[in-house]
Parts: sequence; structure tokens; C-alpha cells
Amino acid sequence: MSDNLQPRGSDDATFAQPLYTPIKRRSFFMYAGATAGASALVLAGCSKDSPDPVKPNLPNGNSTTADGSISLGSGDVGVLNYAYALEQLEADFYAKVAAGSVLSGAELAYFQQVAKHEAIHRDFFKAAITRDAPGQTLRGLTPKYPTGTFDTRTSILATAKAFEDLGVSAYNGAGKLIKNAAYLVIAGQIVSVEARHAAYIRDLIAPGTFAEDGNAATSVNAQGLDLVMTPTAVLATAQAFITEKLDGSSIGVNA
Amino acid sequence: MKLISLLDHLAATPPAGGAAPRRALLQQLGRAAVAALPLGLGAALPAAAETKDTSLDAVSQLLLLERLVSAFYTRALAVNGLIPAAQAPDFQRILRHQNQHVALLTQALQDGGAILPPMPAFDFSGQRNVAANPVLFPNVLSVYDDFLALAQQLEDLSVRLYKGQVFNIAYDAKLYKAALRIHAVEAEHSAHVRGLRRSRGATVKNWPSSTDAAIARPAGAQALATAATGGEENLLHERLAGATVPFPTILNVFRLTFVSDESIAEAFDEPISSAAAQAALSLFF
Repeated sequence: MSDNLQPRGSDDATFAQPLYTPIKRRSFFMYAGATAGASALVLAGCSKDSPDPVKPNLPNGNSTTADGSISLGSGDVGVLNYAYALEQLEADFYAKVAAGSVLSGAELAYFQQVAKHEAIHRDFFKAAITRDAPGQTLRGLTPKYPTGTFDTRTSILATAKAFEDLGVSAYNGAGKLIKNAAYLVIAGQIVSVEARHAAYIRDLIAPGTFAEDGNAATSVNAQGLDLVMTPTAVLATAQAFITEKLDGSSIGVNA
Repeated sequence: MKLISLLDHLAATPPAGGAAPRRALLQQLGRAAVAALPLGLGAALPAAAETKDTSLDAVSQLLLLERLVSAFYTRALAVNGLIPAAQAPDFQRILRHQNQHVALLTQALQDGGAILPPMPAFDFSGQRNVAANPVLFPNVLSVYDDFLALAQQLEDLSVRLYKGQVFNIAYDAKLYKAALRIHAVEAEHSAHVRGLRRSRGATVKNWPSSTDAAIARPAGAQALATAATGGEENLLHERLAGATVPFPTILNVFRLTFVSDESIAEAFDEPISSAAAQAALSLFF
């Protein structure tokens, strides 16, 4: 600071020096230190211990939004309701397949097992949300399907593949939104089962198409990473199969 | 916990005496991240997920796993006539994924300033490179069914280890998200290998089940079975403050009586501790 108090004449001498004077290592570390200090100040300003200037008005799970949609809620409740909505859809789909007569033999037996897994996931989420966030549990949804969905094996397998891929993408994208470690464990325990379903159904459609790669939009990418989608993108796809209009805009958002 | 609070904690963490090597820094990151997770991991997680590893431990162990599985498929694909021509593309794809995972984890370690662990000399016989030791995994590189059985166990182990270790790398958002996505790929590999075994007469489902026939191994190889599928029969999920979700009384499906314990166990894959995984990995070098 004392530099500022020096006679103006000294500036001329400074200007005379080349602009590209190499910064000595010692000086560099001084600058680096100053930056770190500044960052620490910024961080301190954002600490969760300081009062939030604005409390966003976050919706409860299962509340009705201004446009008549059903909100999935915010924070972890939003993530749980999001998973619950998808599991409701999957469970309903597989229950219909399992009760139908299009598939037969070992294939039908497998779909009946998957139907049980999905029903368990659905009821698990219902129980967990009811326990941890009473009053915010998403209502029972009314699935809807394009005409002919359950009429042929081809159509059933294609829909199953779409749902399983969507489920895997959704869980992979939701992991980062979950704050409670216990919920994260559960999501991890479920997503690998969904991935197993996805691989099984893909192999039914065409043997060897499990974990396909080569097209990052529909399969494993060039880094060996599986599908991932944001809640917004997942809900945009899932909405076509759900009668009620869902609002997932606050999923994972915390006050 | 908000990321910013986590950074706050990191900023407040004093350097560990003098010029901390960069490796130590990575360890510090790991410890701070775990400490910053909400809820106290010990109370909320299944016992198997209660690892106390640093992020460096976690990434290093995952790299060891991916290197091991990669070496296994590389050697198997090099054996003429082991894998039928129709399935060769399947295992070439699986190997491609494992190599991509090796590259990703290697990069993560290098970016963190850690020294890469040396590549172990893998021995898939279970003799651990000592001819006098008993063979624990006979014919895994010469008989297709034996190859598939070991492949299934290694893939199941992979799913479970990622499920357990992912919490220890939560400090790095990018790596964390990648690990979640790798985890799903490993599950797809496992489901496929299990399907291949079923098509050849083995009693096995695409997901771990109590109805799967056990893979017969000598007692010395028990650590692998424990790491691959031990504890999959668990029926208690989402422990929070000591309370589990009570399946028998709450689940609608249960009251409809068509859901068995078998299905409930199948519907949730289980995580594994790093110690159980290490015991299994150590059988191969």
C-alpha cells in the first residue's frame, strides 16, 4: 500500500520496464496465496452457517401447483417422489404384462419376477416417504399407454426397454441431487437391479445388446459410462405415460 | 450438506505439518468429504457400506478391481477357442468398458497428484504366483463354463464394490457421477454373463437370488463368494435411526401374498465393504 504514497515520478520508471517481466517464483506464490485468501473470504460469505438472505418458497410433495400440476416436492423428498413416480409406472406396466397372455414360458416367468421387483420398489418408496415426510407422499398415479402396447411381444419388449433405460438414466442423474446418505445407498441398491433388468430385456430383444456402446445418446458412452438424464428430461419422457401432470422443477432443491 | 460448506471445511483444514505431499492432500480431501456427509454414515448405512476409506484408498481399490477384470478378459480373449465366436463380441465390448474405466480412474489419480499403484502380476489360478499353492480357480482360462463362473463373480463383486466405495469419492462431483454410471454398466455386464450361464444349463438368474446354484470352489476361495454375493439375502432396507422399512406389514404387495422374501432380496443389490473386497481381490495376485 505504501507504494501508492510514492511520488508520481516513480511510475515512469515502472512503465519503462518490459510488460513481460517474468514473475519470480516467490512472487507467484504470494499472488497464489492472496487468491486463496480471497477465495476463503468468498466461501466464508456463502457458508451455510450464515443466514440465507432469501428463503425460496419450495413446494411440498403432492401439492398442487398454480397450473394444476402435482408437485413432486423439493430436496430429498422431491427425489424420492420422483423415484416413486417412475416405480409406480414400471410396476403398473409389468403387472399388466405379468397378468396378460402374450408372453409365455420362461419369458413370462421372468417378467413376473421383474413385476415383483418393481412392485417392491414402488411400495418401498411409498413406505419410506410416508415415514420420513408424512403428508408429502405422491398420490397414486394413473398410467396410460399407447394403443397396442400390450398386444405383441415386440411392443411389450420395446416398452420394457424404454422404461428400464429411463429408470437407469433417472437414477444415475438423481444421485447427485440426494443429500441423505441413507437414501443414496438405497438408490444404489435399486439402480443396479434396474440395470440388470435393462440388460436382460435388451438381450431378449437381440442377444448381445446389453450395455451397448457406440451411441452415447442411447447406450454406454466412450468412457464406459452408462446412460444419464436430468429429472426434467426423464419427466418429459415419462409424462406421455402418466395421466396426471407432474411438476419436478424443485427436485433436489433445498431451502 | 451444501458443496460450499464442504469447501468451507476444506479451507479450514490446516495443512498436516509443513509441506504436505500431494498424496497426503488427496487423503485429506477424502477424509474431509466423508466427515462432511450428513447424518453420520455409521448410523445410516448398512454395515457393508460403512467403509472408512479415504478417497485415495477408494479410487486405488477400484483401479485394482478394473485392472484385474480387464486382465482376466484380455487373457481369456487371447485363448484360442475358449470363448465361442458368437460371444466374442460380447466380451470384447465388456473388456472395452473395463479398459475405459481403467483409463478414467488412472486419470483421476493422476489429476489428484497421486502416484499410480504398480500393476500387480495377476494370477487367475488362485495360486498367487507361487506354484506350491493350491489351485483355487481351475480351468478358468481353458473351459468356457469355468471362465463364465469366474466372470460372473468378478462382475457381481464390481457392482457391489462401486456401490460401497462411491461414498468415499463424493468429494469429487465429476468422479462421483462417473462412478455411479460405471456401477450400472457393471450390473449390465453381470446380468449378461448370468444369462449366458443360464443358457448353458446353470441355475442362475440375471440378478443375485437365493435360488442361484452356488458356484463350487475350494474353501480357500470363499472370500470371492463372500465378496460377490454374500449377504444378498438381506431383507432389511433403509435403516434410519435404527428403523427399517417394515416390509411384512407395510407393503401392499406383501398383503397380496404373491411376494416372497426371495423377491424382496432380489429387488435390492447389496454393497460390500472394502475389506471384504480386498480379501477377494488378493486371491488373484
